[in-house]
Amino acid sequence: MTIRNTLQDHGQRYRPRMASLKKSEKVLLEMQDPKTGLKSQPQRLVITTIPHAITGEDIIAWLADRFQVNTQEARSFGSMLVAFGYIYPLQDHKRLVIKPDASLYRFQTPYFWPTQLLPVEDTDYAIYLAKRNIRKKGILEMHEQEHYNRLHKWMNHKWDFIVMQAKEQYRAAKERKKPDRVVFDCQERAYWVVHRPPPGTVSAMDYGLDRQIDPNSDEAATPDFYERIMIFTQQSIMRPRVKSSVSIGALVKYCATYNNHDPFLSNCLPSNPWITDDVTFWTLNMPCVEIPTKMRVERWTFSFAELLSDTRGRDDFRLFLKKEFSGENLAFWEACEDLKWGKAASIKEKAEHIYKTFLARGAPRWINIDGKTMEVTVKGLKHPHRYVLDPAQTHIYMLMKKDSYGRYQKSPVFKDTVKKAICPDEHRFSGPQLEQNYKKRRPSLSPIILRQMEQEQRAKMAANIDITQLCRFTTPVPHLAVYSGFTDYPTATASPSLTFLAHTPACPSPISVGLDSTSVSERRVEEAEGDGNPAARAPVGGNVSRSRMALSLRRLLKGGCTPATMFASLSPKCHSAAGTSSRIQPIGPDQPSQAPPRRIGNFFQIKVDIPPECRIYPIESEDEEEESRAAFRGGVGAKEIICPWESLTTHNGTG
Amino acid sequence: MSSRWRRSVGELALRGRQRGECERAQEALGRVTSCFQQLAVSLGSSADGSFLRDEMDETRHLAQRICRGLSRRLLRLLSDCGPAPSGVEDRQVSERLWVLFLSALEHFLSDLRQAHDLIGRFPLRQRNDRRSLVNTGCMDGVVAVAARVASVQAPWLTMEEEQSPDLTNHIAELEAMLSEMQLRVPVAFWSVEATQLAGAERGGLEGLQEGEDSLEELMEGEGGSRRPAFCCLTCV
Repeated sequence: MTIRNTLQDHGQRYRPRMASLKKSEKVLLEMQDPKTGLKSQPQRLVITTIPHAITGEDIIAWLADRFQVNTQEARSFGSMLVAFGYIYPLQDHKRLVIKPDASLYRFQTPYFWPTQLLPVEDTDYAIYLAKRNIRKKGILEMHEQEHYNRLHKWMNHKWDFIVMQAKEQYRAAKERKKPDRVVFDCQERAYWVVHRPPPGTVSAMDYGLDRQIDPNSDEAATPDFYERIMIFTQQSIMRPRVKSSVSIGALVKYCATYNNHDPFLSNCLPSNPWITDDVTFWTLNMPCVEIPTKMRVERWTFSFAELLSDTRGRDDFRLFLKKEFSGENLAFWEACEDLKWGKAASIKEKAEHIYKTFLARGAPRWINIDGKTMEVTVKGLKHPHRYVLDPAQTHIYMLMKKDSYGRYQKSPVFKDTVKKAICPDEHRFSGPQLEQNYKKRRPSLSPIILRQMEQEQRAKMAANIDITQLCRFTTPVPHLAVYSGFTDYPTATASPSLTFLAHTPACPSPISVGLDSTSVSERRVEEAEGDGNPAARAPVGGNVSRSRMALSLRRLLKGGCTPATMFASLSPKCHSAAGTSSRIQPIGPDQPSQAPPRRIGNFFQIKVDIPPECRIYPIESEDEEEESRAAFRGGVGAKEIICPWESLTTHNGTG
Repeated sequence: MSSRWRRSVGELALRGRQRGECERAQEALGRVTSCFQQLAVSLGSSADGSFLRDEMDETRHLAQRICRGLSRRLLRLLSDCGPAPSGVEDRQVSERLWVLFLSALEHFLSDLRQAHDLIGRFPLRQRNDRRSLVNTGCMDGVVAVAARVASVQAPWLTMEEEQSPDLTNHIAELEAMLSEMQLRVPVAFWSVEATQLAGAERGGLEGLQEGEDSLEELMEGEGGSRRPAFCCLTCV
């Protein structure tokens, strides 16, 4: 059994938060019992004496006795109570730990207890800082000063209120007797150490996002409540089971494997940014970094999922597949992911795209899946939804995992990457340096910018897509016309593998294959590339009426090709010089000499209406684009690979 | 013509008086709410008792009366500020008062909710409940605070005597007041600016002549050494 879903857990499991708060409060109240609770002593200060101080060792002893645990655990428990703010230290107030000696602590008043119910307000913090400022010798520390400045900026509209309230609170506090005043000041200070921790420390109350409901509150026993319990238990019953020996074994194996890679369990090189505020670790491990770190590369060998989920790893794998000429598998997998996680509105288009690119007979990047899966998939594509391609995707995934992954790990590409991978040295920071790091903290790139960068990256990759990547198993029925349409969608939205044929380099024309002159093709390629994005549309009207014969002759003379033609011609089954035309001619009334369209299979038809004598015509790319656009528009009589889910009625008549 | 001029002068004077009234009431409200907070801090601690809770109720009622009056007057001030003679500056002053009052109201509401929660947790109905009060080191001291509350004067307090709700209803009433005010008058919060610069309050409070020691120095009495300003890495 393998541990899955370690990275992207999209499940909505209810996670109770801070149940420890309620339990801690119970313990704290127990400590107050005059007979069985903690014994307190008075704290002697210069000016006065304050009761109810407790020593650290007393707390630990009491906890150990109460819960029957050893001293170490009692100490951790005690430190937790201090970290939450239920008990605060009287000396060394910024370090929220329990010291097992005679250092003094005091209980926090319930007003200042941590609670999830009422959030900690910035207004209160601003008032507190203003009060500190008012005291004659009140000096705000560096981080407090920063907070103060920030709050002054963002709460400017109520700043007068804040200052006024601070003054009033100060005056009100002065009304109390001296010892009580000292106690109150200590309490307030302790409260803010917990909730606005000094740099280098983390607040124990930092528990992540707030839930909509308080997990500690009691829920009313409504019918809805019971219904949810029923649904939950029904689903629990349906869950597949695993023996605990197996699952525990899997957990142990997972921990052993990933132990060295966890930034908190073991040393993180060069330094752990969460602790030292130095972001080198993150910069070195960015998604699109040139040279990955050794640890990262090692993680790729753990499992195929690890390799794919890491962007850099995936890039490496893509490079390897490119060299092996089986890039279409990864491209298909990525396209399926894009479909699964994309917008609902685009599902239909994407599904069509994928079908035409990867699944249809004669598709340019045809993937090899078994017949049954293909049948199921094509059937499902009639009514495409997010998970329609799951069986095919799984099949391809397992194919890559079992076959390509192993070879990848032995390949020179991978070995080269391993050799080049860097291993940074550990960097220890001194105290002042840590302060510097804290001050130099900056927010990371905004997600909007990251997304734009991602899209630019994808567009760049799409522009460089290389259809010398022949699929090994190219179209099995070469004499059929294949629609190698151009994508009309902006390249940014589709994953790079989907944008296929618009800018294709080197494809020798069928004629040149015969004549073996690649120079012509190269010239063609340059012309083809010069055309740029097919997004610019030429008017449809004029093309259709052009005489087909004249057109094909002209093309013949110019010499050019389309990738599909190349595929077809290079396929083992096609030996005839009569290569396949990739052009699907719009059938018009002025074309008497057409072959009747052929019906292949029950599900889809590919209409072939090429006059036999015009089989070979390398096509001038501009015309090609216009033609394709015309055909794509589905004008009268336009033919294309008809996906099974499209209606056949409009094309039947002209067939 | 001249009567109109005279009328507008009269209006201006009236509005100025009303604003002054509101400002004084705002200060009074601040005093009362900060005293309330001092009292609420002792809830659930060893200093808690029926005296404390009674004083809290009194303070609460006083605050409520001030809030009611202030909200009424502010609404009046800002809703019929339409005609031009008041001028932009007067409007700004009124808006500032509005924003300050709403902030004070929100702040007081959060204190009330906290107090409500604490009173629920430490009901003090029986003698045994006193055993579970937290020994915080505070013994007493709310008498002077209560006196301070009693000394608060607001312009309309003597005039209006209305019923005093219990805590839950009080919170509900204030919430309703807050939302009503926000709906009735559209005031852009961000247009109000602070009259003081950051840090202007530093050391500027009167009555501070008695050498106020900082808390660190006070706590030093035990012989605990001063730790450096930046602290160590570990927390828990």
